[in-house]
Amino acid sequence: MSFLRELYVVFWKEMLLWINNPMLPVVRALVFPMMWIVIFGSAFGGEVNHIPLAVVAGDAGELSAEYISVLNTGTTLDIKSTNLATAEKMLKSREVYGVLYIPEDFSSKLIAGERVSVVLSLDETTPQIASAIVAHVTSVTQRFSKDIALAGDRVVVEKNTLFGRGIEYLDYLAPGVVMMTILFSAFFSGGMNLILDREFGTLKMLMVSPISRDAIILGKIFAGVVQSITSGIVALIVAILMGVHLKSGATGIAMIILLMFIAGFGFIGMSTAIGTRITELEQLMVMMMVIIMPMWFLSGGLYPLESMPDWMRPLAIVNPMTYATDAARAIMIRGIIWESLVLDLLIISTFAVAMFLIGSYSFKKTLGGVK
Amino acid sequence: MEIIETHELTKEFNGLVAVDRVTFSVKRGEIFGFLGPNGAGKTTTINMLTTLLLPTSGRAYISGFDVVREAAQVRRRIGLVPQEIVLEGDLTARQNLLFHGMLYGMSRREVEEKIPELLELVGLRERADSKVRTFSGGMKRRLELVKVLVHEPEVIFLDEPTIGLDPQTRRKIWEYIQILNRERDVTIFLTTHYMEEADYLCDRICIIDHGKILDIDTPRKLKDRIGEGDIIEVEVSGKGERFAEMLAKECGCQIKKVEGNSITVSAKRGEYALKEIFSLADRLGVEVASISVREPTLEDVFIHYTGRSIREETTAGGSMMKYLARRLKH
Repeated sequence: MSFLRELYVVFWKEMLLWINNPMLPVVRALVFPMMWIVIFGSAFGGEVNHIPLAVVAGDAGELSAEYISVLNTGTTLDIKSTNLATAEKMLKSREVYGVLYIPEDFSSKLIAGERVSVVLSLDETTPQIASAIVAHVTSVTQRFSKDIALAGDRVVVEKNTLFGRGIEYLDYLAPGVVMMTILFSAFFSGGMNLILDREFGTLKMLMVSPISRDAIILGKIFAGVVQSITSGIVALIVAILMGVHLKSGATGIAMIILLMFIAGFGFIGMSTAIGTRITELEQLMVMMMVIIMPMWFLSGGLYPLESMPDWMRPLAIVNPMTYATDAARAIMIRGIIWESLVLDLLIISTFAVAMFLIGSYSFKKTLGGVK
Repeated sequence: MEIIETHELTKEFNGLVAVDRVTFSVKRGEIFGFLGPNGAGKTTTINMLTTLLLPTSGRAYISGFDVVREAAQVRRRIGLVPQEIVLEGDLTARQNLLFHGMLYGMSRREVEEKIPELLELVGLRERADSKVRTFSGGMKRRLELVKVLVHEPEVIFLDEPTIGLDPQTRRKIWEYIQILNRERDVTIFLTTHYMEEADYLCDRICIIDHGKILDIDTPRKLKDRIGEGDIIEVEVSGKGERFAEMLAKECGCQIKKVEGNSITVSAKRGEYALKEIFSLADRLGVEVASISVREPTLEDVFIHYTGRSIREETTAGGSMMKYLARRLKH
């Protein structure tokens, strides 16, 4: 047999296998490339827009109103006009990324031909967003100044960082990576462990023994949670050693570990539920690509959600990983400010309880045999 | 009450009957074997008896406890060695036994005390602290055998205990199974599709095919059931069916199986029948390509009931005399 012929035979068998299992090739050849092109092409590096920014007009004059309307052009900012007290609250609870204060003497000074400054107080937790705000506000202000006073420097933007001073991309990235570690290792400790157990029959050993079925399920889930938290803690230590920003010290670390614990339960529950629906390792790898990886990429862990196209944002909103990452980042960069954590913690806890129940229920169902 | 009793035990999978109204009982202290080809329902039966699978209908009792309603009691009294190795490869032999004992509510110390003696039983004492991953297939099997003894079950279930092992290792496992049975006084229920295994080990054998029990008895009595005498396998160069017909009519042989030109018959006196076979071949003008005379095996019993072999390859059992037809003729 010639070498080419041999090569053809091997090639032909592999292609047959590929075609005979319709699910995998469809997913691998069609879904993967499309999904990844869409995710990488749209979710990252696009222009950030619809950034919520509070504007406090200390001056009710006509010029001030005009300035605000000019700021509102384009899709970069979502302006929320409000008073100073509310604006501060919104900034604290992260409803807005910054507050622009227009002083009382804005109109009068401009009319008098004097120089006037507006104050931009920023939350720089997400550096890409902060710089987008600064860029937009500065250029709009310059244009406004030119139109009004024929000089670009009559209105000046005074920048003032309230949260996250000196934050770099590494600081932004680290909290997401810590949560990603939990997500990925939960996937292996939960779903994969279950499938291997079934494949090697080690589950049978537990099943014929007199210990209760609930103990089998809970024992496995707890072990999975501890295993994934351990790798999360290692990731956190590496981040700290690399000098990543950590605002609240030991309390912050404790808080992050608590967060890992809650998220770990959710992710283990989820991967257990997936594991019980699947019998082969290969299918699990597909699940990894179709569910777990997008959960990570669409979580705002690598790049802010504000850079996603509008149609993609709902995916990030229903993604539990978004809230886990967001909470971890808020704790590490801004410190423990409860107003800004309540929503995240509530959503993650609900997710964790739901997934734990679904996971253990479907596990119990697939155990079969006599209860 | 017997240690295992079943009554019309049945399991259906999506309308397919895997085990069909099976009724049998196993006596305390015996080695009882389920013999049948792959897919006969052996493992399904074991799974029901060990509470891993809910029966569709019928009842089964272990030591008087219902496998469905009193599963916890049943589980405490049984040990299962499934077909696949279920040891944790990354744990040592000692740790595997420890974990097993603790699953059955034993204290660490209780198990520790038993470990040397149990490992000694299967010649693994020196390897107590090696990871099981480093063990050979036979060693793993041996460890599995004593692992289930840790909690002192009344009956242990062995599902194809020597599948995939080489003949030497298989012999060794057989010896260990006998040791467990005699020295530990534990009842053994095993499944196998190896006739020699069932013949060598079992006090009583249940022959099963397509989920139905064909017969239950001691190996000796099962073999006697197909008629006393020897089994002759003859292969002729042609006219197989005609040859078989004549053989039955003229030589007083009982036809067991005809497959083309290969004929299996039983005869009361083998040596005598041989001569007749050759003269018959001469008369029909065919040649005897090969011929053998041997004592009946369980394989023959299985063929007697089903008309087919338990598996395709020929058995190595029995005292086989092989004649080369040509040499005899000349």
